[in-house]
Amino acid sequence: MATARFLLKRLLASLLVLFGVSIIAFSLIRIAPGNPAMLMLPENATEEQIKNTEAKMGLDKPVVEQYLSYMGNVLQGDLGVSIFYNETCSNLIFKRLPATAQLTLIAVCISLIISIPLGIIAGIKRGTGVDFGAVLFALIGQSMSQVWFGLLLILLFGVTLGWLPTQGYGGFKNILMPAITLGLPLSAIVVRMLRSDMYDVMQEDYIVSTYAKGIGQWEIYLKYALKNALLPVITVTGMQIGQLLAGAIIVEQIFGWPGLGTLTVQAINMRDFPLIQSILLITAAIFVTVNTLVDILYTVIDPRMKLN
Amino acid sequence: MVVRRKSILRKMSKSKFFIIGSLLVGIIVLLAIFAPLIVRFDAEATDLRARLIKPEFFSKGLNGHILGTDSLGRDIFTRLLIGSRISLIIAVVGVVFPSIIGTILGMVSGYFGKIVDSVIMRFNDIQLSIPVMVFAITVMAIFGNSIRNLLIVLVVVGWVNYTRVMRESVMGIRDAEFIKASRVLGGSHLHIIFTQILPNIIPPLIILMSQQVGTVILTEANLSFLGLGVPLPKPSWGSMIADGREYIASAPWTVIAPGFALMITVLAFNFVGDGVRDVLDPKNID
Repeated sequence: MATARFLLKRLLASLLVLFGVSIIAFSLIRIAPGNPAMLMLPENATEEQIKNTEAKMGLDKPVVEQYLSYMGNVLQGDLGVSIFYNETCSNLIFKRLPATAQLTLIAVCISLIISIPLGIIAGIKRGTGVDFGAVLFALIGQSMSQVWFGLLLILLFGVTLGWLPTQGYGGFKNILMPAITLGLPLSAIVVRMLRSDMYDVMQEDYIVSTYAKGIGQWEIYLKYALKNALLPVITVTGMQIGQLLAGAIIVEQIFGWPGLGTLTVQAINMRDFPLIQSILLITAAIFVTVNTLVDILYTVIDPRMKLN
Repeated sequence: MVVRRKSILRKMSKSKFFIIGSLLVGIIVLLAIFAPLIVRFDAEATDLRARLIKPEFFSKGLNGHILGTDSLGRDIFTRLLIGSRISLIIAVVGVVFPSIIGTILGMVSGYFGKIVDSVIMRFNDIQLSIPVMVFAITVMAIFGNSIRNLLIVLVVVGWVNYTRVMRESVMGIRDAEFIKASRVLGGSHLHIIFTQILPNIIPPLIILMSQQVGTVILTEANLSFLGLGVPLPKPSWGSMIADGREYIASAPWTVIAPGFALMITVLAFNFVGDGVRDVLDPKNID
């Protein structure tokens, strides 16, 4: 019963957030200096062209009415038509989403494969060389601009060594560099978190008592300590997946990856406002959905969370 | 109080990261301040005869193209130094303003709770659910790229972090005896928030601010890389990387120099941020 109430509350909160985002996405374009119709047309557009575009966009009606009709359409799954592509926004977005999802998935996998063992060892072996290396790795990972890191990879593996293709969509070789670039900040965060969580958990009474029972060291680390230390990692990874799905803009731009990020930049360059508005809404929806799922997952894994 | 200050100083001097970071930040800030006295070229004037010259390092002293030139013949060393001024100013404003707004909202939210808290936190959730880069490039594209708009974007996306942290800190001490006592003695809410609560949540605020400097610099660089940050031809590390990208195979220094400057600067601030956390975080007091 408590779980059902929690889920319902969480769902309502998400809907409220999305409602807020829809207002922001809608008004951003309307508080723009000048007229959105003029922004989309070439500079030498005639009065008539402007009037026509305004009518097409419904700009001649009152703002509240515009918003209501927009939301009415959105709720029926109609996000409007892109001006540049002359195709429905939902079509465009969902065509690009798989490439971004694929990139995000591989990025998260690579980043966890590196960061989980590193974080665990650093946490257990506090104060050693491995620990120092892990801290340094995390700090550098946090400080590296993705632009710079991505271009360094291109310079090394693409240009100098010629091992990997530097641009475009394709198989494993294509995805490797963008995924590593995208996953770097996540690795840094996970290493830091696991390192301190592992250390804290190892001081807990129940771990100390497992020692007393004579259970092997690595069994304690992996079976008892890791279970608790991993909880925050799940939350952070979930939050990051939401951000990555929407925020691969820079990485996709550098590696010419045809995902949502590239579409966003194209929409911006073409001043394709219906498309920009839809991207804002969809990315926020993805973010909120992923976070809600993570919250739910959390209550399943950690019973202590249920009552909150 | 004296004893405490001494122990903070002692801890600071023990943290290697903090010392290295502070030294680097000091050097970077000095270079930025004295940049006009050091450089020998114009940061914005193009010279097509001097395109893509290889780094000459110090073979000609300060008068040579120490780090080479870019595709428009501009001296990269000059643009790096002048660009550092812009980056640092944006970083300072981009940290200070959101921290003020975010702290006030966080304190109000945590102190009053209930409906005030709900309203502020829902706005917080809404802002958090819009990915920073998507929001930033949309705003910059609509309102045009200028330094003013860039700062507005940084404030709008930045306050949420401070509000969350400050709110939690306030909730931790809201019901403490000394707050209750102040209330009983007739202290107004405003008085309590600013004279009783604020001094007690300064450490987490400083920790967060010092950690945000790097993030702000990176956001600016990302936006400038996309051509939606510092307007051209003003030098910004992000736009310098974007310029050099085309020539990465034939003239890699055009990318390496600004990228390296960016990394070292952010790293220096993150070192300091880490050191500050180690020193101020009550969890680390032994």
